[in-house]
Amino acid sequence: MPSIDTLIVVGVMLLKVLIIGGALFCAPLPLTWIERKLAGRIQQRLGPHRVGPFGLLQPLADMIKMFVKEDIVPAKADSFLFKLAPILAMAPIFAIFVVVPFGPDITIPFIDYKVSLYITDMNVGIIFVLAISGLAVYGLIFGGWASNSKYAMLGGMRSTAQMISYEVAMSFAAVGVVMMSGSLSLVDIVTSQSGGFLNWNILYLPVGPLWFVIFLIAGLAEMNRIPFDMPEDEGSLAAGYHVEYSAMRFAFLSLAEYVAMVSIAVLLVVFFLGGWDNPLGSLIPILDYVPPVFWFMGKVGAFIYFFMWLRFTIPRYRYDQLMTIGWKIMIPLSLANILATGMIKIYADYRITDVLEMVGLKLW
Amino acid sequence: MEQLFFIGFAFMAVVAAVGVISLRNPVHGALSLIVCLLQVAAIFVLLRSPFLAVVQVFIYVGAVMVLFLFAVMVVDLRRVELESPFNARGIFAYILAPIAVIEIFAVIFVSKSFDAFTTVATLPTKIETLARVLFTEYLFPFEIVSVLLLVAMVAAIVMTLKKGRS
Amino acid sequence: MVDIIKTVITRVLFLDFIKGLLVTLKYTLSRSITLKYPDHETWIPYERFRGEHKLHRNEDGRELCVACELCVAACPTDCITVVPMEDETGRRGINDRVAKVWEVNLVRCLYCGYCEDACPTTAVRLSRGFELACTDLDGTIREREALLTESPIPEHYEGGVVVKAKYIRKLIQIKPELWKQKDWWPAKPGRSKKR
Repeated sequence: MPSIDTLIVVGVMLLKVLIIGGALFCAPLPLTWIERKLAGRIQQRLGPHRVGPFGLLQPLADMIKMFVKEDIVPAKADSFLFKLAPILAMAPIFAIFVVVPFGPDITIPFIDYKVSLYITDMNVGIIFVLAISGLAVYGLIFGGWASNSKYAMLGGMRSTAQMISYEVAMSFAAVGVVMMSGSLSLVDIVTSQSGGFLNWNILYLPVGPLWFVIFLIAGLAEMNRIPFDMPEDEGSLAAGYHVEYSAMRFAFLSLAEYVAMVSIAVLLVVFFLGGWDNPLGSLIPILDYVPPVFWFMGKVGAFIYFFMWLRFTIPRYRYDQLMTIGWKIMIPLSLANILATGMIKIYADYRITDVLEMVGLKLW
Repeated sequence: MEQLFFIGFAFMAVVAAVGVISLRNPVHGALSLIVCLLQVAAIFVLLRSPFLAVVQVFIYVGAVMVLFLFAVMVVDLRRVELESPFNARGIFAYILAPIAVIEIFAVIFVSKSFDAFTTVATLPTKIETLARVLFTEYLFPFEIVSVLLLVAMVAAIVMTLKKGRS
Repeated sequence: MVDIIKTVITRVLFLDFIKGLLVTLKYTLSRSITLKYPDHETWIPYERFRGEHKLHRNEDGRELCVACELCVAACPTDCITVVPMEDETGRRGINDRVAKVWEVNLVRCLYCGYCEDACPTTAVRLSRGFELACTDLDGTIREREALLTESPIPEHYEGGVVVKAKYIRKLIQIKPELWKQKDWWPAKPGRSKKR
């Protein structure tokens, strides 16, 4: 019989898993609404406005539609893999959130119990994130192949090639982050950037912004979002890998896509924007009372908005352009940047605040 | 408890490995291989070596198997499934496979380096330690492996170039 | 050389890309051109709009139409039918003539407005009603009684605005000043408000 402390730890862990899992399962509901509303605004339309106030209940209506639609498995499809693919697409992306720190430890009042706002703090966190996010492509590959449809197959092949190409650049960017922050653990990466926006990795001049851009572009490509949504190119592939999917399986695939978008936003925030760090440090005293989780969510929300904004702004790249960007620009650039980061780390490891202090300017 | 997990993972790994060689559909075979590799990664975690586990997933499951599937998917499956898996070259396999099996068992039972307790204790669990060892004590093998990989990469690129083009 | 430097700066700082994002941002903040048409908002056409016909009365409430049948003669598609009769006022001449039947086939009508021009008493005028959809052919023929009802939009109201649909739908005559107006085309310098 395990002791009561162990049971409490396990219970808290389970609770955290349930909360995060539930939140991620529900996240696509508001996100689809926001995305469609934003699409409408950008195209000078109204977006959904019939169901509920401002169309807020539209995603719920869509969900009911998805539930009651007929679940079709094509006759000549590989039915085992066809049914497995949505789960394979979804599970790894949910697993990323195991290591994501949402905020610093909080102490529950009255019982004085300390709770950390992450499920685990792995000492190989960043590699875990990269490894697990790489697995998500299997959903697309198997889904595309098992559908036994040429469009789906081509979508699956494209996603494979795209993932392989951009995984390299993304890993290099992660290496850059590890070099800048000096740790593989996501919690340590966040704490290394604490103390205002000048300490964030994105402002680790001159290499920080470049790493940020590389990670952003590679992340966009990894999660198959415009401008890199080759696997589901409506123009040339109908709907790509999910062309044969309907009803709940389709809903799971699009759920996976939305959660992937959230995960990339979260990773960008953790790696480059200081996670839960207050942007202005203690420059404005009143901001100290804002809970850190709020900053985290705010930054993630800003990135999600940015991704949606991007989607309705720029067109899709051509497939060969995609490969050119991946192999001929991103990878050489990131290799050179690794060298530069190493040099800077050895010879002049400074942040902007250090320089400011040197010239006698102390902000906080 | 740990023993129980180990038996579970090991059993799954063996079942998946058998699946890899017995399933007729190459894509299903690849899926079993993925499962097998994931189980092995889980066993690495049980051996207090999360770094190795994650790298295993990252390299093998995340990259190698994706490339593998990329190649398998373009294969004409109907022809592969009709073809007999046993052909004239099978005779070599019948000779070589038992030798390999005997070899593996011999290494396991004879060699001292498979003594589980000593190995686990000396394994570097922290990544810093691992990196330090890799870049000091084992720097030469590390460099050799890097150069080998570079050569392989260049060779692969050269092989894809068409003849007669500079 | 300057061009090369410019290109490099543009590429490195993603200037074109930011320009594109700003364009969409501008549209995000601009007003939607979609109307929540039938149930929430309705478009009131300009004064020049030619829609459904209306027959008008004078200040005493007497019908202006004297059933002269000039509109029938002017109509290029023969969609108007007028049958005159004498009313019970007993006055002789044109004064006691009213239309017994005045009907227009809205499917045949091409809304040219010739009947309007031909009418000596300005009895028939094309209103701004454009919601003419109906579920059977009987609905396409407007009788005299229907044509004599007043249009919810005042005759000389400038139009070109979006209003709440209930004003039109419930046939409430409301002074134009009270309508919550939404100018359709925002006034730009160089384009006069008066059209």
